Amino acid sequence: MSVTEANYLKNKVKSLAGNTQTIKSDFTQYKHIDFLSNDIESKGKLTFKEPDQVKWEYTQPYTYSIIFKDQTVYINDDGNKKNLDVGGNKLFERLNNLIASSIRGDMFNTNEFDMEFFKDGDEQLVHFLPKDPQLSEFINAFHIKFSKIGDVVEVKMIEPSGDYTQIVFSNRTTNQPLSDADFSQ
Amino acid sequence: MRILASSILFIFFVACASFPKKQQFTQVTTSTHNIINPYFSDTSKDYVYKANIDAFGNSFGGLFIVKKIGENNHRMVFTTEMGNTIFDFSIKNQEFTIHKILKDMDRKILLNILQQDLTALVTEKLEVSQHYQKGQQTLSESQLLSKKHYFYFQQNQLKRISRTKNGKEKVAHIFNSVEGDFAKSIQIIHNNLPLQLTFKAL
Repeated sequence: MSVTEANYLKNKVKSLAGNTQTIKSDFTQYKHIDFLSNDIESKGKLTFKEPDQVKWEYTQPYTYSIIFKDQTVYINDDGNKKNLDVGGNKLFERLNNLIASSIRGDMFNTNEFDMEFFKDGDEQLVHFLPKDPQLSEFINAFHIKFSKIGDVVEVKMIEPSGDYTQIVFSNRTTNQPLSDADFSQ
Repeated sequence: MRILASSILFIFFVACASFPKKQQFTQVTTSTHNIINPYFSDTSKDYVYKANIDAFGNSFGGLFIVKKIGENNHRMVFTTEMGNTIFDFSIKNQEFTIHKILKDMDRKILLNILQQDLTALVTEKLEVSQHYQKGQQTLSESQLLSKKHYFYFQQNQLKRISRTKNGKEKVAHIFNSVEGDFAKSIQIIHNNLPLQLTFKAL
């Protein structure tokens, strides 16, 4: 991808992210571990409300939800509920911001990431490589695939071992009104 | 006084009795020389479990994944539901290798516990040192990582592994919902520590 094309993509994604107050989407997650015969597949629903409320709700093959809201993590593990107060935890704050940013694709922060841009047919792919060693201990790279209009269609988080988690979004709707019930545990 | 002395003696002997004796098993001779644990023996299978770990008042979940990658060679990974790796170990010929562990969990005492528990979980073949029987139930004694283990079989199906010390069970591996050579539900319970691992097949 040329520098002009990369800048065009950046501006498009930033502008779209700025105008996105809510997202609802289905997702399929593939956990790839090199020594396994098959990727581990799970499915669920993602709900996002700006600036940083996120709910990941897994429905298959297990029932599990994790909500990031008001400096608290709310977990519902098949009926077992648990809250973690993470106020003041800088790493958590960064992680939450990162998750919220990656859903919208707006991670074009040169202080935090080195970036590489690729074209894949109609889709565009950006590799975000964390500069902070504290973060790169967990994630070597985020590969985010964007649709023609700049929506995130896929996020791949690659661990230092090369194993990765790939999340593919489908049935995405934006800026539909969401209530507190959408972020209930 | 005599009754009291007899009671004390009786309690003393029961307390000192071996683990099989306490379970009312009697020693028998057998031509069986090996114990077979079949639950992680298929190289073509990915063993994937939803896991819950209750440890010292904290509870957390994730996925526990085991793969037999060769003879006496298993790889096992624990990840969060969202896919982040918590630990990644190999056990080859009972030798334990750490490929990855979160810094917060990198504690010798915890690693020793996991090494013992997971080696007992996946080791397929062990030499029998003693054999005991109670009706249709059998109990086979063996040494694993220099600790005494008893393998409890009911109708030739492995139901429980008990790690013992001084005739008392310290750790139990319990296998339930067994279909063929696949245990769909596994619990590892520590009797002397507030630590319990529960695995349910996905």
